[in-house]
Amino acid sequence: MSASVRSMSLTFCRAARVAFRAFNPATRPLSTGYCLRTEIRPADGSRDIIESTEEFRFVERLIPPSRIPAPPKHDGPAPSGWTPPSDTPPSLPYMIRRSRMHNVPVYSDIKHGNQHSTLIRKIEGDIWALNKEVKEFLLELTGKDPPTQVNEITGSIRVKGQFDKELKDWLLNKGF
Amino acid sequence: MSLIKKPGGKTIEVVKNLPRITLANLRPNPGAKTLEKRRGRGMHGGNRSGWGHKGERQRCNRPRLGFEGGQTPFYLVIPKYGYNANHSRQPQYPPLSLRRLQYLIDLGRIDPSQPIDLTQLVNGRGVEIQPQKRDYGVQLVDEGADIFCAKVNLEVQAASEKAIAAVERNGGVITTSYYDPRSLQILIKPVPFFMPGEPIPKRLFPGEDLLPYYTDANNRGYLADPDKIQTARMDLAKKYGYSIPDISKDTLFEMLVQRKNPRHIFFGLSPGWVVNMADKKILKPTDDKVLQYYGS
Repeated sequence: MSASVRSMSLTFCRAARVAFRAFNPATRPLSTGYCLRTEIRPADGSRDIIESTEEFRFVERLIPPSRIPAPPKHDGPAPSGWTPPSDTPPSLPYMIRRSRMHNVPVYSDIKHGNQHSTLIRKIEGDIWALNKEVKEFLLELTGKDPPTQVNEITGSIRVKGQFDKELKDWLLNKGF
Repeated sequence: MSLIKKPGGKTIEVVKNLPRITLANLRPNPGAKTLEKRRGRGMHGGNRSGWGHKGERQRCNRPRLGFEGGQTPFYLVIPKYGYNANHSRQPQYPPLSLRRLQYLIDLGRIDPSQPIDLTQLVNGRGVEIQPQKRDYGVQLVDEGADIFCAKVNLEVQAASEKAIAAVERNGGVITTSYYDPRSLQILIKPVPFFMPGEPIPKRLFPGEDLLPYYTDANNRGYLADPDKIQTARMDLAKKYGYSIPDISKDTLFEMLVQRKNPRHIFFGLSPGWVVNMADKKILKPTDDKVLQYYGS
């Protein structure tokens, strides 16, 4: 009996001490104070912020364009040497469209370090007629008949040797 | 009797009943390990016991890796050379030629009626900047200086003297300015930075090694004295033999005289502001401590 009374008194004392610690402002646990402060803060913060839509125009000009822009109008070649295609496509059995960056689709290529070639892409219509004219043009230019490779499916012609600048100028003069 | 077939029927039942994978029951896959050969054990002993005949092989006394029998080894013959010495302090500036800039303007990929900075150049796919690879911006080189004919307000990170002359001959304005790597990343890709809603940081000043370049009026540095820049413009015009056009009555005068704050990354956007891309709003702080931090 006496043992049980002693244990009861011990538990009561412990409970009282815990309660005193919780309600005494000096020894109040830190965690409760922190919780209260975090509850107040967002209300204060929202009042402190100014919302504005006026300056958003400065952000709008930082957004990259999703499409390639159409080039502005030029009379003849532009200062950098870029030339717009002629308004009416030339009356030839074939047609060569501009690349997506608005350039003539003629590219030079090197394979295995020494296989130089030139590629003409985006050919539509009679590709064999163009092939014949390219051969004639290069025969005049170099004095040799250059080997060419015609790919009808991809609409491209590969010429042996690097003649990208010459072929580009030649196609530009034709009006492509 | 009909059986419903479940995907992975039996295996999934087995895996459900097995214990969890822990360090205690992890082991290599069956067949992944081959046991080391133990020579001369059991009935295989005697004579040479599978070790071969005499020498370093039998006695397991092979020399160290790279040893060439006493000859000066290859790794000591070739002297050391510091190809990549001090690599973290070598800022890289990819070139942008005046010909390419003129080409970008001709094709409408860059708008000369607005101030051109690195964001516009990257958005027009004119240059590619990789801050992770020690790129600190672009340098304007003078190739195509004779064909350049645009009137621009340009901001680059480095420029040659002839390129500066070509821009100013047409009545343009050029500034060289420094961006620390973090600001540079934000400048070249602004939208991915705005999306998470972080406040715009303030731009840092250049370090000790780059400060002389950006305080020099001859480089049109952004920290140089504006009066000295004016005299430097006149001197350069005299040197190259052209006269600076009067732009004060130009329709684009307001745009041409715009200069970025040395602490700002973008035109018109102060550090500390948060951009809300979804609602198309800008949130500005008013707390004194925050303003003091971003204003300093």
